[in-house]
Amino acid sequence: MKSIYLKHLFTAMVLVLGLGMPTLLRAQEERTLGPVSGTYAITNVTVIQAPGRKLDMGTVVIKNGIITAVGKGIAVPPEAIVIKGDSLFVYAGFIDGLSRTGVIKPKEETKEKVKDPGNPPPDRAGITPQNDVRNSLSPADKTVEDLRALGFTTAQVVPYGGMLPGNAAVVSLGGKSADEMVLASKTALYSEFTTADRIYPATVLGVMAKYRELYRQAAQAKSYESLYASNRAGLERPSPDRILEAFYPVIDKREPVLFKAEKILDVQRAITLQTDLGFSLIAANVKEGWDVLPKIKSGNVKVFLSLDLPDEKKEEKKDDKKDVKKEEKAKPDPEKDKLEKRKAEFVTLYAAQPTAFQKAGVPFGFSTLTAKTKDIPANLRRMIKEGLTEDQALAALTTNAAQILGMSDRLGSIDNGKIANLVITRKSYFDEKAQVRYVFVDGVAYKYDAKEVKKTDGKKIDVSGTWSYSTETPQGANTGKLKLKKQGDNYTGTITSQYADKEVELKTVSLDNNQLTFSYSLQVEGSTINVETAVTVEADTFEGSVTAGQYGNFPTKGTKDPNR
Amino acid sequence: MNTMKKIFNSFALLALVTFAHAQVERGNLLIKNGTVLTVTKGTFENTDVLVKDGKISQIGKNIAVPAGVKIIDATGQFVMPGIIDAHSHAGLDAINEATSPVTAEVFTGDVLNPFQVTLYRALGGGVTTIHAMHGSANAIGGQCETIKLRYGVKDGDGLRMEGAPRTIKFALGENPTRVHGGGSSIVPRTRMGVEFVIRESFSKAKEYMEAWDKYNKAKTQKGFRGTPPAYNLRLETLAEILKGNIIIHCHSYRADEINMLLNVCKDFGVKRLVFQHVNEGFKVAPELAKFGAMASVFADWWAYKFEVYYSTAYNAAILTRNGVVTSINSDDAELMRHLYHEAAKTQKYGNLSDDEALALITLNPAKQLGIDSRVGSLEVGKEADIAIFNSHPLSSYTVPMITVVDGVVRFDREKDADDVRLYVDPTQAVDIATIQGGEQEDHCMDGAEDAFGKLFGLN
Repeated sequence: MKSIYLKHLFTAMVLVLGLGMPTLLRAQEERTLGPVSGTYAITNVTVIQAPGRKLDMGTVVIKNGIITAVGKGIAVPPEAIVIKGDSLFVYAGFIDGLSRTGVIKPKEETKEKVKDPGNPPPDRAGITPQNDVRNSLSPADKTVEDLRALGFTTAQVVPYGGMLPGNAAVVSLGGKSADEMVLASKTALYSEFTTADRIYPATVLGVMAKYRELYRQAAQAKSYESLYASNRAGLERPSPDRILEAFYPVIDKREPVLFKAEKILDVQRAITLQTDLGFSLIAANVKEGWDVLPKIKSGNVKVFLSLDLPDEKKEEKKDDKKDVKKEEKAKPDPEKDKLEKRKAEFVTLYAAQPTAFQKAGVPFGFSTLTAKTKDIPANLRRMIKEGLTEDQALAALTTNAAQILGMSDRLGSIDNGKIANLVITRKSYFDEKAQVRYVFVDGVAYKYDAKEVKKTDGKKIDVSGTWSYSTETPQGANTGKLKLKKQGDNYTGTITSQYADKEVELKTVSLDNNQLTFSYSLQVEGSTINVETAVTVEADTFEGSVTAGQYGNFPTKGTKDPNR
Repeated sequence: MNTMKKIFNSFALLALVTFAHAQVERGNLLIKNGTVLTVTKGTFENTDVLVKDGKISQIGKNIAVPAGVKIIDATGQFVMPGIIDAHSHAGLDAINEATSPVTAEVFTGDVLNPFQVTLYRALGGGVTTIHAMHGSANAIGGQCETIKLRYGVKDGDGLRMEGAPRTIKFALGENPTRVHGGGSSIVPRTRMGVEFVIRESFSKAKEYMEAWDKYNKAKTQKGFRGTPPAYNLRLETLAEILKGNIIIHCHSYRADEINMLLNVCKDFGVKRLVFQHVNEGFKVAPELAKFGAMASVFADWWAYKFEVYYSTAYNAAILTRNGVVTSINSDDAELMRHLYHEAAKTQKYGNLSDDEALALITLNPAKQLGIDSRVGSLEVGKEADIAIFNSHPLSSYTVPMITVVDGVVRFDREKDADDVRLYVDPTQAVDIATIQGGEQEDHCMDGAEDAFGKLFGLN
């Protein structure tokens, strides 16, 4: 009885909230005032117009989404909102070469079993090249806000799917509607070596063969269509096919193929297809490309290198209280040491990849597809530590990326007439202590408050105790309790979640000033999901975000339960 | 030239460019004073083998040392042609596209993985060339690639034996019927169904080929207007089999199904045919010999499922004595490391001569792969793929010492490093390897078994 009652109550709530919400939101929107002017002047600022083009104490004026003046001693228009740039740096907005920022993931549906696994319908096989990412864009998606907060203003985004998910678009990380986000559509035919589940193509073998067949069928259909168009009399009518038609601009080289090619063998396979079929290739989210450089060069392959790096081995923290265990650990194991050493060498190779490309003279941009947003600045610094110069890193984030996307006329530098995409930081962006203060996307300002690094004065804040948290997910709010215990200088803890039937031990907990991060694993439907939470603690509350494996990023809030 | 032809020609040209792209490292060597087992031209003691630019340039006594050439002292050792495995699944990222009974369009050459340490371990057993095959889940599986074990290259293209003939995997009997008939309730569910699938495929390919021939011929007529047949990569590939441009390597066990495929091939004029496993080959050896079909067998491996009970260790010898070109293969990463032992078993079971036994793992598999003019024996002009053993390779006590591919030393027991991985996964936890790898079965059905949840049988 009780549960039925609750269910009804719940339904009623959903109805009330579900119907009530949009009105509320609309009312609120109407009340929101826009900025008083579309003109901004950033004065007295260090302008990094482009890599190697630095202007001290300069002024940048933007008007209605366009950069209208850059230089020294420029008159500030009377209508301009002035941002005093003293001690700030301004860069052109960063460009992400491949991600799904702002792209809504389709809901998983249970699908009917395919009767003949050798002949599945194309969409089940992952063959949907006719799709357009514009149909699944949302500027309100949290990923847009997260990536923008790092200084990214533009991204080439792609749909979800299998081996041929559809057409990419270059979008602004702002705007009010999907169409408003789009800077350029059908910028590339996106492809992956993703196999279908127990139906053809279930292996890379099948993906390679199917790709070749579709491409050649498209070439044939296209050629027949133009024959038919030139003289229709006496010819069978060509049968239209949206899948094959999606390849036409690629065959004409009006559109490149954007291949997700992370591992070295993926890059080689993408190049094999390029060589066999003759399309223009952009290899994207490349993680292991250094040994393929000669082929990349000779094949004129364009590249977006991944901003995702493997974790570095952390120095084990010394804990005096665990002397006994420490001795056990200290037993020499030369074999293991050697293996660890080789692993560390490879971790370094990943971080040194951009340097290797730079040395080989292959221009590259970056992509964030699989990178954890919060790791991106640190990963850039790791790349710089391995030999990349700051200018080279900036070129990859701005000018090179714009060049690869064929949009240098609009993006990539702070020059008159370009789109007003800007990042304004305190300290150089690549400085460990840099803080993004403003991001301009299409001339719209996003302000970020200075992060207060609280002076600890030897007193550290104590987060131990029980916290109630609530995380907003597409499935509704996930609530639970977080228990933290202090042990020496470190914390341990447990967490409850609606996705776990009992308390889960936290794998890591760390507190850096008021930045609390912790991680744990959840078992959901037989697979392990790694959950990472990063929050800022203010007295008895915290606020931040949760990354749940590949499921995305969700906002979370918490309050400390009163001590009993 | 019409547009379609132009398009396809440009594809062909591009493909040629790819092959020219991969650069193969070729070495110079002088192997001094060994017992040289040429397999085809006899055995010579205290003899030198000179390798220039990856090829054998001279075999003889007291060859003068050319300047700057690396010398291997083989005194007291045995020098033989590199071992060739006509049936392997090593070096591949995927083995079975098990979703359809016919997948002629797929190609293992697309999924080569040069980082597999298995390839190095095979070198440690004197193996220099392997036939990296599609699995046996489908009646007509994928095309296979013949690769050389140039372990150390970081590009799949670097493994390809450039210019080796195209081959394709077929499979009869329990595997395709279990996967497709049992797993998906589609044809073939029986041996009859397997025959039907192959005949139907050949018939469709024939129609396809004829349709294109007709179209291409008509097109040359002035004022021709018409629609080309729809391009189909599967039928393109099958048509190449009918034209004799692809060698069939067919997984088979029973005599009746072997006879069946001989008849099918006769009906469609297909002549290049090698049977794999062929446990009942001894029953149909004269028929195989008459057709010119070849056989690649296990020395003494059977009884892992119902269709493999009727078997004998004399199989290789009986086939050989009946004039069938026979080889011994591994189909397995572990067995691949001691194929010389497998070959030696034919001396106990069948009294084959040294040269006959060695040919089972060198010249004969080379013939089956269509590469015998290049490898498979030690002859001047052939590629310098060489294995050096510390005693006679057919002795139970022999140990492979050095393995050479294209004149480049790819394995040297004296310099065998602990960790030979070319790429290290930076996300993988470091574990100390144990001796038992759990590799107790062959890999013919990899990718097919788990995909369909049918785990009642191997091979």
